[in-house]
Amino acid sequence: MADAIRIENLQKSFRIGFIPKTREILKGITFSVREGETFGYLGPNGAGKTTTIKSLLGLIHPDAGTITIFGRPHSSPRSREALGFLPENPYFYDYLTGREFLAFTADLFGLCREEKAERIARLLKLVGLERAADLPLRKYSRGMLQRAGLAQALVNDPKLVVLDEPLGGMDPIGRKEIRDIIVRFKDEGKTVFFTSHILQDIEMICDRVAIIVGGRIVKEGGLRDLVSEKVLFTEVTVSGVPPLAFAGLGESISAQGDRVLLRVYGEARVDEVVRLVHDSRGRLIALSPRTETLEDIFVDTVTRT
Amino acid sequence: MKIRAIAGITFKEAKRDRILYLLFFFAAVGIVASRVLAILTVGDRIKIIKDVGLASISLFGVLMAILIGTGLVYKEIDKKTIYTLLAKPLYRAEFILGKFLGLVVTLFVMTAAMTLIFLAIAYAHTLKFEGRLLVAVAYIFLELVLITAVAILFSSFSTPILSSLFALAFYLIGHLSWGLELIIKKMQPGAGKVLVRGLYMILPDLENFNFKTEVVHGLTIPPGIYLSSFLYGVCYTAFILGLAVLIFRRRDFI
Amino acid sequence: MLKGAAAKKGSATVLLVLFLLATASAIVVLKAATDRVVRKKLPGSSIIYIPSGKFLKYATFGYGTLAADVVYLWAIQYYSTPTIDDRFDHLDHVFAIINELDPRYQDPYEVGAMIAVQEARDTRAAFTILDRGAANNPDQWVYPFDAGHIALMNLKDFPLAEKYFAQCLKIPGAPAFVERLRANAIFKKGDLKTSWETWLDIYKRAPDERTKKIASNHLYNVKATIDQTALEDAAAKYRERFGRLPADIRTLVRTGLLKEVPKDLDGNDYVYDPATGKVTTVISPWRR
Repeated sequence: MADAIRIENLQKSFRIGFIPKTREILKGITFSVREGETFGYLGPNGAGKTTTIKSLLGLIHPDAGTITIFGRPHSSPRSREALGFLPENPYFYDYLTGREFLAFTADLFGLCREEKAERIARLLKLVGLERAADLPLRKYSRGMLQRAGLAQALVNDPKLVVLDEPLGGMDPIGRKEIRDIIVRFKDEGKTVFFTSHILQDIEMICDRVAIIVGGRIVKEGGLRDLVSEKVLFTEVTVSGVPPLAFAGLGESISAQGDRVLLRVYGEARVDEVVRLVHDSRGRLIALSPRTETLEDIFVDTVTRT
Repeated sequence: MKIRAIAGITFKEAKRDRILYLLFFFAAVGIVASRVLAILTVGDRIKIIKDVGLASISLFGVLMAILIGTGLVYKEIDKKTIYTLLAKPLYRAEFILGKFLGLVVTLFVMTAAMTLIFLAIAYAHTLKFEGRLLVAVAYIFLELVLITAVAILFSSFSTPILSSLFALAFYLIGHLSWGLELIIKKMQPGAGKVLVRGLYMILPDLENFNFKTEVVHGLTIPPGIYLSSFLYGVCYTAFILGLAVLIFRRRDFI
Repeated sequence: MLKGAAAKKGSATVLLVLFLLATASAIVVLKAATDRVVRKKLPGSSIIYIPSGKFLKYATFGYGTLAADVVYLWAIQYYSTPTIDDRFDHLDHVFAIINELDPRYQDPYEVGAMIAVQEARDTRAAFTILDRGAANNPDQWVYPFDAGHIALMNLKDFPLAEKYFAQCLKIPGAPAFVERLRANAIFKKGDLKTSWETWLDIYKRAPDERTKKIASNHLYNVKATIDQTALEDAAAKYRERFGRLPADIRTLVRTGLLKEVPKDLDGNDYVYDPATGKVTTVISPWRR
């Protein structure tokens, strides 16, 4: 399958200050996003996530490197015909109504009148802004602006959707809605590229991730490849067995009344704990293996770099 | 067309700016006041009305062009609305041209409104409609179009206050071209004279659009100047816009 | 393909630069063409919208003296440009602005008056400017002096010249020779009696030999003129009565037409020409 995005050796420095001091932001970024996949772009603040996205969109001119979008060079405006973008904090023309704003966006894509009307109606329904469509944007709440932003990113029914921190600042219900929409993109065959700090959400929906630290990609790969199924430890909750019985087998994390929560390292030990419980006529209440999460990987990678 | 779409929202945004209506109000007051002033004159009253009327349209038009034009591009960058805009399949040139067109349309509406009041007052006084007044206004409008382009040029890389000062400087330099001409006549031939002469040729000469004196005093206007002035205005505007596009293309929006 | 993209972007820039060069040359050509078209000018219209000096004074926010300098510099260039035919139409207005902005700036008064007299041939404007200078600078004797000089030499308006020289003398520091100019103006205007008294006064107060000599010469001249007139009048009366001119001056005394034979200031006789009836001095008043 073709690459939706292909970035090779992207470099960018900025000259800041009156006596120009050069700060290297991107030191040679290389990664690609395959068509149809949902790709998460992670990194600590200041690593260069937003700079990468802005370079992709043509807002910033790279010092070196190449970027292609569906095979087209990113410098040509045509490369953005099938692209939809939602910025981190949506800033729109506050004197336009939601509907007018979407109509304007449709004009920028050159949609004809029938297409325009149909699409605007559909999008307003999708993001739940039908009732607020004729209010000026300056009257919208943060959540509503986010939805309007999502709607404008979808006006051209894009093959590639680029989202910068789409889940930030929303309440859990809002986050769920957005997550559902992103999953829907995946079903529709759209490619999704987004940055986020909320690693649990990334774990839930991404196919591949890249971690950028200090202007360099330090980890890239499929989520399943990076996050091993390796079990770190198993949490066992038992009752009816005195905690001392487990000495040497597991750590007692907490004891409440009759119940004991143990942390057991190693599969062999888990088996022993289970046998012990069975032999002591106790009760095994819960057994949950705890695997490596993305957060573990992220923290580990960042602190190591 | 995309340029038209951007022009459309620019017009929507510009016509909400209160400065426009404030300036229009002062222009209208000025034009109407000319009627009152005319009563105090001894002699030809209509001259005062024409003088003040044309001067008001010219002066307030320039102020409108500068005050609104210098904020146009800067606001988009400052308020970050430009991120979503430039993420669309849009050439940066289309953005600049769209902004320019939107403001030109706004100024056209305002100039037309001021001219209507002006013509009404003039008609009320003379019971005649003088076509030459429209000629003077038309070339005033051409000057406004050029100033708009200049305002947008500066707005694409500078803050509104500095842009306003630069645009104002352009306007003043444009009306003092004849001073440069005088200096050239007095200079000794040499490298200095060639340099100043070069400067004289490229600096704007806004007096080319000024037919106020001829219209007010009923002097004949040589027909050759209509075309050459018009083309001069068009070419200079094209040059300024080209420069704006060149600068704007290179910008990084951090 | 990627190289093509970079080339395309580069070529767009090249096209843009070419466009800029093309429009720039068009601008230069069109400007030259527009310059060639001769537009009708109103007489004096090149400065038709310059407001009054009083207004400008407020408008310049305390930089009045600097503004005066600038306007004066401009005026010098303007008035030395021979191709502006109507440049003198607002001469007084322009200098009024300069004077209004900085009443104590001395050069413009003198230069303005000079331009008025020499180039614009407008003595009225010159007087207006100099009067303003005198009014704004009552301690400067040069303004009434210049005015008197113009009245004396250009207009030959001797009463006016006298008035200005008298005004000049009232100002402390006025040079002594102004007294003599005044006295001469009085003489030229025909008031011989006052002229004699004035010169006598100068003679008595003369601080040095040279001044005394000058005064003495003038006194001689005045007396000679008085005597001359009297003699020639008497001769004419004689001719009326007797049908012919008298042979000499003593004849006039004998016939009672003259009280006595007048002598010049040095005590010499006047020279009488019986053929014409004209009287001249034996020596020129200025060669004594």
